Amino acid sequence: MNTEARAHRGTIALEDACVLSQQRFDGNQFILRVRAPRCAQRATPGSFAHLTCDTSIPMRRPLSIMRADADDGSVEFLYKPVGHGLAQLATREADDIVSVLGPIGHGFDPDPKRPMILAVAGGVGIPPVYFLAETLRDDARFALLVLLGSEVPFPFPTTVRDESITGLPPSASHAIVDLERWHVPSALASNAGLEGCYPGHVPDLARAWLSKQSGDVLERVQIVSCGPEAMLRATAALAHEFDVPAALAVEEFMACGVGGCAGCIVPIHTPDGIAMKRVCVDGPVFDARELYPA
Amino acid sequence: MNDPLATTFCGLNFSSPVVLLSGCVGFGEEYTRVEGFSNADAGAVVLKGTYLEARPGNPPHRVWESPSGMLNAIGLQNPGAATVIRDILPRLDFDETRFFANVCGSTIEEYAAVTARFDDSPIDAMEINISCPNVDHGGVEFGNDPGVSAKVVAACRKATSKPIIAKLSPNQTDIATNARACIEAGADALAVINTVMGMAIDITTRRPVLGNNRGGLSGPAIRPIALLKVHQVYQEAGPLGIPIIGQGGICSAHDAIEFLLAGASAIGLGTALFYDPLVVTKVNAGIRDYLREHGTESVGDLIGTVELR
Repeated sequence: MNTEARAHRGTIALEDACVLSQQRFDGNQFILRVRAPRCAQRATPGSFAHLTCDTSIPMRRPLSIMRADADDGSVEFLYKPVGHGLAQLATREADDIVSVLGPIGHGFDPDPKRPMILAVAGGVGIPPVYFLAETLRDDARFALLVLLGSEVPFPFPTTVRDESITGLPPSASHAIVDLERWHVPSALASNAGLEGCYPGHVPDLARAWLSKQSGDVLERVQIVSCGPEAMLRATAALAHEFDVPAALAVEEFMACGVGGCAGCIVPIHTPDGIAMKRVCVDGPVFDARELYPA
Repeated sequence: MNDPLATTFCGLNFSSPVVLLSGCVGFGEEYTRVEGFSNADAGAVVLKGTYLEARPGNPPHRVWESPSGMLNAIGLQNPGAATVIRDILPRLDFDETRFFANVCGSTIEEYAAVTARFDDSPIDAMEINISCPNVDHGGVEFGNDPGVSAKVVAACRKATSKPIIAKLSPNQTDIATNARACIEAGADALAVINTVMGMAIDITTRRPVLGNNRGGLSGPAIRPIALLKVHQVYQEAGPLGIPIIGQGGICSAHDAIEFLLAGASAIGLGTALFYDPLVVTKVNAGIRDYLREHGTESVGDLIGTVELR
């Protein structure tokens, strides 16, 4: 057995992670912070972890990683307790132990030939994009514009943006404070009448920006996205319309999380026809042209 | 002193009675992604079900949690026997464990053809899948009829001299009769049981949750069913020296020992890996402890030793 055939071995850690904090936000949103140093060291934006929510519920739940700090070994997840498993996870408190299997999957791998990254995310799809923004904030190869949508108040402080962003409607006046601090411009969308948010869906905000860009700029743009299926489909349609590549992070019901069971597949369009790809280890990031072709 | 976990199964040396089950561990290397996991801790690893040609499997959703278990309807997604033999088997480390193929077919001829392909490969043994509940033709359709089961096994028997293991379905009235038919047709061993057929409905959409409408139930929910089936099959197979891989919801050394006492010579882990990817070493350690505490020299000394009331 050669070295290449062993390259995947030991890449996913299994850790009994101590809960550092569990914060609840309006709109039934939670941010769970755990100490999982081996996961923290290896996590990349778009990767996820498979968590045991409670000893009474042995099947794990996949959650996107929002932040990973290799120095202090912490990993953060944003989630809404949809279903009884995550409802149990939401009852975990500081010093509780949660089994964390991760990081798992191929995350975003932005192409330096397209240095302008338009990040489009909604709801609990925000974490991978947030992670990407933090990771690339000091990377001179890339510039980001982060567009986030939510129907409940964002679980992060927002503020009036200092500078306007060409192409965005004036109603999208607010930005995420953390992203401002990282010098990553952001704008928000919501149908819930949230202050400073464009009143509509986040792909509409993306369309407003894309439609104001010249052909030269569009040739330097790539989209990354994560969120509900309808949002991803709308984002893929924008990518096709404006002829820019898009990387979409998807989710699906999952059992093993390591590629063993083929339970979490999505149909991917290839030149040879439909191929069933595993979200866990083949994804969770897929090319929009293969996932939702024009 | 010999390792008390070491055993032989159909003449093959096993480092442990633990077998990693087909459909749960992909094509053998998937779980090695997990730090601390090694195929060397298992006696054998059974690869994903394989047909002659590639199959895409069922549409999503394919898995769903249920009380004390899960439903799956993967639909035997596989790249076809030729690709498995050409591209996958060379990447496996046969020094670490024994690798078994899981042979599928839509016709008896296809089962025989797949068996013949694996006969000419490094594969150590073949499990004949006459019990998958998630395909339209073959699988459980053949496995619920002892006569057809026997024909499938006989056709595979002619195609190989390697050990063949008939994987039996619990979705039949009399599993022991089917076991006898498979043994008479040439099976060297039996795997008991495959999943129990089940269903879940989304009451909001009023549609089945699974893309295949129905699926196979696994996990602790089926453990008592599996244990009884092993005991029943052992009444037929034990006196003939035909070993059983007991499987169905085993999650711990305690569960494994129950199956050994009921008549299994080896025990399968599947859904338990999803709960705890490092469960194999814990089951091995627990069996070792039990053997030491009970003054039993070898795991083989436990087989079928349940004392009925």
